[in-house]
Amino acid sequence: MDKVVGKCDDVQLERLLHSDDEESDEVRAAAKHLESCEACRSRLASFAADASWWNDARESLSSSDAFAWKPDLTRSAAFAGREGSRGDSIQSDVRRILGAPNHPENLGRLGRYDIERIIGSGGMGIVLKAHDSELNRPIAIKVLAAHLAHVGAARDRFSREARAAAAVVHEHVVAIYNVETDGHTPFLVMQYVPGRSLQARVDEDGPLTVEEVLRIGMQAAAGLAAAHAQGLVHRDVKPSNILLEETVERAVLTDFGLARAINDASLTQTGVLAGTPFYMSPEQATGEAIDHRSDLFSLGSVLYFMATGHPPFRAEGALAVLHRICREPHRPVWQLNQSVPDEVSEVIDTLLEKKPGRRYASAEEVRERLASLLSRAQQFGFGRRRFARIRGKRLRRRVLWSAVAGLLVAAAVVGVVATWPASRPQATEQPPAHPAADGAEIARSEREFAGEWKESAHAIGQMERPTSFLSSGDSWNRDLESLKQSLANLEALVNPAAKPEGERK
Amino acid sequence: MASPTETRLSLIGRLSDRDDVEAWDEFVAIYVPLLYRLARQKGLQHSDAEELAQEVLVAVSRAVDRWEPDPARGRFRDWLFRIARNLIINFMTRRKYQSISGGQTDVLRMIEDRCDESSDELAAFNLEQRREVFRWASAKVKDTVAAATWQAFWQSSVETKPIAEVARELGMSIGSVYVARSRVMSKLRGEVSRFEADGSRG
Repeated sequence: MDKVVGKCDDVQLERLLHSDDEESDEVRAAAKHLESCEACRSRLASFAADASWWNDARESLSSSDAFAWKPDLTRSAAFAGREGSRGDSIQSDVRRILGAPNHPENLGRLGRYDIERIIGSGGMGIVLKAHDSELNRPIAIKVLAAHLAHVGAARDRFSREARAAAAVVHEHVVAIYNVETDGHTPFLVMQYVPGRSLQARVDEDGPLTVEEVLRIGMQAAAGLAAAHAQGLVHRDVKPSNILLEETVERAVLTDFGLARAINDASLTQTGVLAGTPFYMSPEQATGEAIDHRSDLFSLGSVLYFMATGHPPFRAEGALAVLHRICREPHRPVWQLNQSVPDEVSEVIDTLLEKKPGRRYASAEEVRERLASLLSRAQQFGFGRRRFARIRGKRLRRRVLWSAVAGLLVAAAVVGVVATWPASRPQATEQPPAHPAADGAEIARSEREFAGEWKESAHAIGQMERPTSFLSSGDSWNRDLESLKQSLANLEALVNPAAKPEGERK
Repeated sequence: MASPTETRLSLIGRLSDRDDVEAWDEFVAIYVPLLYRLARQKGLQHSDAEELAQEVLVAVSRAVDRWEPDPARGRFRDWLFRIARNLIINFMTRRKYQSISGGQTDVLRMIEDRCDESSDELAAFNLEQRREVFRWASAKVKDTVAAATWQAFWQSSVETKPIAEVARELGMSIGSVYVARSRVMSKLRGEVSRFEADGSRG
């Protein structure tokens, strides 16, 4: 390294600093030069920041992290499926709660239950896998977190909400077997669901297929409908509260009503601190009274998440997320995932309406809508192709008709009316017959088409006003009349119900 | 007393300006770890320190209700960081970490009183704040650069490993390690300066 390669160039060093380019010849040459030029190395470093900054950075970033704050509030209150960063403190919490184990491989005992292992933990408490020795079945136990257990209000809420949730018996709701609030440590005994949460599923495997979105959404809506029928609002519908049972992949909802118990009684999970509330409804975010339709908004966010891999409202901070939920529109799903049919995208749009009154009226209605989309999709070979074809067709038609209209206008302007019949055969592009199940889709696309049609017709109508570049007003009008007639004929072909502009006179 | 949930909700209602919302989130991102760390340094247990951070946050968010946009009073961001700093330092000096959730008027006094500019507490606070801002900024920068670029900076500048060793470990040329670490440093300085220029030092 005795010989300096290349020459020193401060301007180049500055440029180097402010580009992200890694591979260009210029960068390579500069890097080569730096290897041999001590002076340029220190100049580059000082251009980046002077020595005190380098010191401060080293000092700040390397300082002992013994007291680093590790937020665990962002984790799910349900089956997070993993132990938190404070695994040791959870272990010790658990040991404090439990009695001595019957078998050495178990963690301990709680009442008549043998605790096998920790499934997860969250703001609300710890979830344990256990075995009910009397009924000989696996169960999950949710223990109220130690800092909540001695708050009277939290205990009361916990038991009240848990008993209400226990009244909901449904195949898509995690069954609650028992609520123990008398002892030192309040806990819930629940059905054990082997599998992973929807959150974990999408995190690990990416967005789901349309069929899965519909199926899981339908099942979640069914579970919600059952709870709503009992007057119970979930309040915390989110992917980590939807468990997917192994093998059958049946979706089951968990943690009914518990969000309220936590929010009201504890300073944690407030969203002031952490735990970005991606799935909250606008009325929850602004503190208005909420009803079952709040769950429908959250369900819409969950569908969105399944289809795209992320929630509809994202931002860096919790407050910014809430701000978006309340004030900004979401990006439609079909823009992010081309395989999502318009109708599924529209269901999500309806669920994500800011005003509860504009959403579906009930979870049951959502379930029915998703079920009919699903059965239709299955009947016609898994939705996507079928739907995609229709959307593609609609698009093609749109382009086609714009072209036809353009062509006709051009023809009229130059007075070569004879060219218009050439576009006639295009009309046979219309699907001659539609399967009954597709009727609504076709009708809707026809309506849209009719709208565009009117626009074109209207645009042509505007041209009735004599324009200066035409030599003969008469021939213009004649051409225009035949043009309008031809438009009317074409429209009658594709859309017999609508009265074209030309026929109104 | 308003519940924490209502407090958060009132923030949504109060802050409609995007910059203000951003300022609040930035404040939370920097001050929660900062408060937690200060409390742990004072000997508080994990859950007590966490609770303290929460309480301060809730107290400040309540104070936001009294924020009136007014050109004479400056920006929300400046005001927010100023009152938070006053609260924390006065609190650290006077109360030695007893719960502040009780007396509202005490909290208000702690927010409004200017703190003693010469106190040790202030010096400790300023030091920790700068550290926290660096950590916050480094997390942001880390997300914007390639993993190897970040590692080149971290290993050579924070862990102070010899450049040649870093280059070997990352499979980079020595020259590119120099380029990478300076690029990261430049971005880091940009973020920290932006935060400080934003008037957060009260």
